[in-house]
Amino acid sequence: MKEDQSQKPLLEAQNIELRYNDKPILKELSMDILSGGVTALLGTNGSGKSTLLKTMARLLMPQKGCVYLDGHAIAKESPRSLARKMAILPQSPEVPMAITVRELVEQGRYPHVGPLRMLKKQDHAAIEEALEVTGMQAFEQRPLDSLSGGERQRAWIAMAIAQSTPVLMLDEPTTFLDVRHQLEILELVRRLNQERGTTIIVVLHDLNQAARYADRMVVLKDGRIVRDGTPDRVLTEAVLQEVFGIHATVLKDPVAGTPIFLPHSVVHREG
Amino acid sequence: MNKLIRNRNPYEMTYKIGLLAALLLVLILCVMHIAFGKVVISPQHILRALANVQEEEHHRQIIWQLRLPRTLIALVAGAMLGLAGAILQSITRNPLAEPGLLGVSAGSVLMIVIWITFADGLGDATRYLPLVAWTGGIGTVLFVNALSLGKGMDITRLALVGILTGSVLQSCTSLILLRHTEAVGSILLWMIGSLNGRVWVHWDMLWPWALVIIPLGLLSAGAANALQLGQSTAASLGVSVRRMRWMMLILAAVLTAGAVAAVGAIGFIGLIGPHIARRLVGQDARRLFPFSTVVTGVLLLGADVIAQAVSFELHVFGLSSQVSLPVGAVTAFMGAPFFLYLIKQKRKSH
Ligand SMILES: Nc1ncnc2c1ncn2[C@@H]1O[C@H](COP(=O)(O)OP(=O)(O)OP(=O)(O)O)[C@@H](O)[C@H]1O
Ligand SMILES: [Mg+2]
Repeated sequence: MKEDQSQKPLLEAQNIELRYNDKPILKELSMDILSGGVTALLGTNGSGKSTLLKTMARLLMPQKGCVYLDGHAIAKESPRSLARKMAILPQSPEVPMAITVRELVEQGRYPHVGPLRMLKKQDHAAIEEALEVTGMQAFEQRPLDSLSGGERQRAWIAMAIAQSTPVLMLDEPTTFLDVRHQLEILELVRRLNQERGTTIIVVLHDLNQAARYADRMVVLKDGRIVRDGTPDRVLTEAVLQEVFGIHATVLKDPVAGTPIFLPHSVVHREG
Repeated sequence: MNKLIRNRNPYEMTYKIGLLAALLLVLILCVMHIAFGKVVISPQHILRALANVQEEEHHRQIIWQLRLPRTLIALVAGAMLGLAGAILQSITRNPLAEPGLLGVSAGSVLMIVIWITFADGLGDATRYLPLVAWTGGIGTVLFVNALSLGKGMDITRLALVGILTGSVLQSCTSLILLRHTEAVGSILLWMIGSLNGRVWVHWDMLWPWALVIIPLGLLSAGAANALQLGQSTAASLGVSVRRMRWMMLILAAVLTAGAVAAVGAIGFIGLIGPHIARRLVGQDARRLFPFSTVVTGVLLLGADVIAQAVSFELHVFGLSSQVSLPVGAVTAFMGAPFFLYLIKQKRKSH
């Protein structure tokens, strides 16, 4: 059976069910990611965004369902070959403090060279480039424990970029960053997507930024996808009220043309 | 100025200087170590004896038969404990981890004690000590790991089970000690750790293991670097976290057991050495592992120089010439305050 290449999803979650101690977190969830897009995962705290991302990166094994990358079940893939195809930056990663930025970024090459060749000084173009696009070149020899939270975050992002994978997943990459650096990261995401064709899935809390930088917004609530579509269709007053629990007005960004919301008040629930 | 600093890895410099300094220290300590003992030999005499000058025959005997093997054993056993400590601290991501953490030392000592009290009749008992110690050490690691097995291989639980198992094994050793009072002396020395009476036989059972396992430990630095980024990150880099962590646990256990088989359960040294190393050369295992190995070897040698010097003083002050301070007592004496200092530091940083 031949299918149009562009129609075939690159990454596909099928009927995922994931429980923590019998408490279902993801419920019969299915999602297709087409090659080459920027998908934003949204939802309130605890809605299951990080869990979904980790499941798609095989950091968690679902009790039911399956994730396919390029049509192959990721559960059967070897760790290293998977790590050459997708990189994930976890939410608030744990850091060994007494290593330099460059040494952290070097770790991104692990899936390409393996444990023994990691003993060498790595000077791949990929490391230089990752340092450059994240603006971390000036910091490359600084120990991580001498950096600000935002600089450290960018060092981690640089590591994921050095992994040079066709799929990149980022869990709240803009947390800790000031507004300028938030935009820098989002523009970097867009650039990676446009220039390298990297398929990106990113968890964001700022809906306006998501609408601005993502082609597609997927909204989770209680472990289910409740909205999925272009920013115009997802960022609406109804969604803000039902999913995020706020009254708001949605306008059109006069420059970018994407929807943008102004919050007014919290929706008070009875009980 | 700024540019210079920017383009240099700040740890790299300390690493190179530190390695040189450590090698220099090794030389100095070797001379001191050979000099001290019941008979103090001056450096001049040491040189002459090593050059096989005839009239130095007596010194030559002491140096070749007693002092030199002891020096070598101190260096290599210390190195093994240091590397084991560095590996454990990296993979548990806990700066307080040490070779005794998983009960390895306690398990090795128990097996050694059982062996020397019950199999003493067998002719070549000492030759099998490393194997015996390994059985104990690896057996303990397997046991601890099986007990703490669960979802996601929780490192804290592993450490807790390890510490508990260690103390149970240690009380077993104490029980044997109570039942075999005639062996109290030698059992105690295994528990504290001592270099007394270590000669070429002991060296011969140490170096072949060391020659294989220390390089393996150093080669694991690439994997250790990935592992110390945390379980999720390591997994997303394509590390088979469970398997890798397992292999490194076993490696640390084998290193520890090998050292324990030669010198007994010397405490603290495998905690302090890697800690000093990390302060100086940072956490990248490519520097941390070799540096910890060297530094801890130096530390154990230094501690034994102190032990020997103190024993000499004791004799001068008329104490029995049978009394020799075990090096384990010296490391504990240096180590306990250091440990408290570490804990205090840790609290401050929170
Ligand atoms: N290790 C765990 N054990 C038990 N429950 C967990 C675990 N990790 C997450 N959960 C639960 O799963 C639910 C979803 O968590 P998840 O981290 O996916 O949320 P999230 O959408 O990423 O939230 P946030 O915006 O706060 O990051 C939460 O209710 C959380 O309490
Ligand atoms: Mg999350």
